Amino acid sequence: MPRILIVEDDDHIRSALRLMFEGEGFEIDDAPSGEVGVAMFTRMASDIAIVDIMLPGMSGFDTCKQIREVSDCPIVIVSARDQTADVVLGLESGADDYVTKPFIPEELLARVKAHLRRRPEKSANSFSLGELTVIPDEGIVKKGDGSELHLTSTEFRLLTDLASMNGKVLSREDLLERVWGYDYFGDTRLVDVHMRRLRTKIEPDPANPTFLITVRGTGYKLVL
Amino acid sequence: MHQRSLRTRLLVTFGLGSFVLSSLFASLTYFGVLNILINNQQSTDLKQSYENATLVRNTLATNPSELTSTLNSIEKATNTQVLVRTQGQWLSESSGAQPPEISASAITAADNGIVTEQTVRFGNEDIYIVAIPIPSVHSQYFEVFGLSSLSNTLRTLLELLALGALAISGIGILGGLWATRRVVKPLQEVSEAAALIAEGELSTRLSVTNADREVQQLSDSFNEMVSQLVERLERDARFASDVSHELRSPLTTVVTTAAILQQHRAELSPAGQESLDLLSADLAIFQALVEDLLEMARNDAGATPHVSETVAAVELVNQSARSASRRLGIEVPPIELGVTVKNPHIIVDRRRFERVIANLLDNATRYASGVVAIRVECTAGNFIVNVDDAGSGIGADERSQVFERFFRGRMAHDRSSVRGTGLGLALVKEHILAFDGSIAALESPEGGARMQISIPISSEGYA
Repeated sequence: MPRILIVEDDDHIRSALRLMFEGEGFEIDDAPSGEVGVAMFTRMASDIAIVDIMLPGMSGFDTCKQIREVSDCPIVIVSARDQTADVVLGLESGADDYVTKPFIPEELLARVKAHLRRRPEKSANSFSLGELTVIPDEGIVKKGDGSELHLTSTEFRLLTDLASMNGKVLSREDLLERVWGYDYFGDTRLVDVHMRRLRTKIEPDPANPTFLITVRGTGYKLVL
Repeated sequence: MHQRSLRTRLLVTFGLGSFVLSSLFASLTYFGVLNILINNQQSTDLKQSYENATLVRNTLATNPSELTSTLNSIEKATNTQVLVRTQGQWLSESSGAQPPEISASAITAADNGIVTEQTVRFGNEDIYIVAIPIPSVHSQYFEVFGLSSLSNTLRTLLELLALGALAISGIGILGGLWATRRVVKPLQEVSEAAALIAEGELSTRLSVTNADREVQQLSDSFNEMVSQLVERLERDARFASDVSHELRSPLTTVVTTAAILQQHRAELSPAGQESLDLLSADLAIFQALVEDLLEMARNDAGATPHVSETVAAVELVNQSARSASRRLGIEVPPIELGVTVKNPHIIVDRRRFERVIANLLDNATRYASGVVAIRVECTAGNFIVNVDDAGSGIGADERSQVFERFFRGRMAHDRSSVRGTGLGLALVKEHILAFDGSIAALESPEGGARMQISIPISSEGYA
C-alpha cells in the first residue's frame, strides 16, 4: 500500500488525516514540523507528501523544496492560506497540488489517489524538443549530451499530454482533468504555475517560449 | 424640487448688493452736492442782485439817462439778464416789453415791496430770478441768472457717479465670483470626494494645502472621517475574515472526523447512522458558509486581487458548467448558443467566473428542481448567459432582493428542508459587478426563474 507522509502541526487535524487515510488503507507517517517531516520522508521513502504551510520552524514552502531536492514524488499542500500569492509560492516551491482548509475530505482523498494513480501514457512515442528527447515509455527526458533532465511526474504528464494533441490547443481545464486526474474547481493557477516551471526546464529561453505556447483566452499547445 | 445653486445665489447677492449700495451712495452724493452748489450759487447771486439794485437805485436817483449803460455794464459783468421796471414801464438793456421768463407773482410781490427769489424752468434751462423792490425811485429790480453752467457741472458729476456705481457693481460681481469660487470650490471638492468614496475609491482624500482656515478644518474633518470609516470597514472585514479563518482549523478536523465516521458507517446503530447523516449534511452547509463568508469578507476588504484575463467566453461557460456539474453532482443540460454568438472574449477572473456559474446552477438545483437550460447570447457588446430553472419563478417583488446576503424568499421557505448558505447569489452579484457586468432575476420562457448575467465583450478578444 502507498505510504503517505503528513506534515501538519495541528495535532487534531494530523490525527484526523491519519485516521481518514488509514481507513482507506494507506500507510501513514506523520510529522509535526518540516524538519522532522523531511528526515522522515528520506527514511521512509514515502510515495506522496501532504504538507501544511504554516509550520513552526521551517516553513511548508521550504519543506517542499527540500523534499523536491531528493524526490520527484507528488507533494500536496494543505493550507488555510488561499491567496494567489501563497498558492503560486507553494507550487513554485515544488508542490504539485494545493488544497485549502477546510477541505472536503472526499476531495482530498480523490486528489491524493489521482496523484498516486498517475503514470505517463505508456503507448506514447518518443519525441524531441530541440536538443531534448522525451521518452514516455521510460518516463525520462534526455538532454543533448545524454544526461537525464529531471521532471516531476506532473511536469512529465503535462508535456506528454500536450504532445499527444499533435499541436492542438488544450484548455487549462482540460489539462487539469487530464494531468491532475481529478475534476478541479477552476483552480487554473495550478496549470499556469506548472507551465512556467516546465518552461524554465525545457525552453532555451523561457521568457520567449518556442515549444510551450500560450494561446490567449484558450489554453496551451506544444509545438514540436 | 428645484434647487437654487449656491453659486448663483452668492453671485446675485454680491452683484445686487454692490449695485444697490453704490447707487444709493451715488444718489446721496449727487443730491447733496446739488443742494450745496445751488444754495451757494443762489446766495452769491442774491448778494450780487442787492448790490446791483443799489447801483440801479443810485443811477436812477442821480442820473436816470445813464441807466441803459449801467444795465449794460451789469449784464456784461455778471453775464445775467437785468430788467428794471419803473412806474410800470420795463427798462432793459434791449427792449421795453415784459420779459416772459418773469412770472406775474414775482412782479406783484416786488410791486408790494417784497423781495422774491424763484427758481423756474424756462425753455431748456433752469433759471434763478431775483426780484428786488426799490421804493425810493418807485422801481423794481429784476435779475435773471442762468443755471446752465451749474447744470453742466451737475450732469458731469451725475455721469461720473453713474460710472462709479457701475464700476463698483462690476467689482462687486467680480468679488462675488471670487468669493463664490473660494466657497463653492471646496464644497464641490468635498462632494466629488464623497462621490468617489461612495463608489469605493476609499483612498480618496481632500488636499488640505492652500485653503482657508475653515475649509482646511472641513477638509481635515472630512479626511479624518473617511480614515475612521475606512479603518472601521477594514476592521469589520478583518474581523469577518479572522473569524472565518479561525474556524478553518477546527472545521477541518470536524469534517475530516465526520468523513472517518462515514467510513465506519456500517458499524453504527441505525440511530447513530441517522445522526451521522444529519451531522454530515449540516457540516457541508457549515463549511460552504465559512467559505462563502471568507470570500465575501475578502471582497469587502478588497483583499483578493482579481486575476483578470481575456478568455473565450463560450468555452469558459462550457467548462464552468461541466466542472460544476461534476463537483455538485447535478445534471446540467448542454449549452444553447444564440445565432448571434460568434467567438466572444471577455475579461474576467476565471476562478470567480466559474464560481458564478457554479452558484447559479447550484441555486437552480437547490431551490427550483433543476436547470432547464443555459442559453448564451450576444447583444449590444455584451455577452449574456441565461440560467433558466424548472421552478415556478420568482415573484416580481422579490426579484431585486434575491441578490441580498442571507435573503430567503418564499420559495426557500416553501422548501424548508432545503438548506443553502444564503450567500450564493450575493457572491454571484459581487463577482459579476467586479467584471463590470450586471445580473438580473427575470422570468424564463418556460415560466421558471431566469438568472441573466451580462458581461461586456472585450474588443481585443478576436486576436
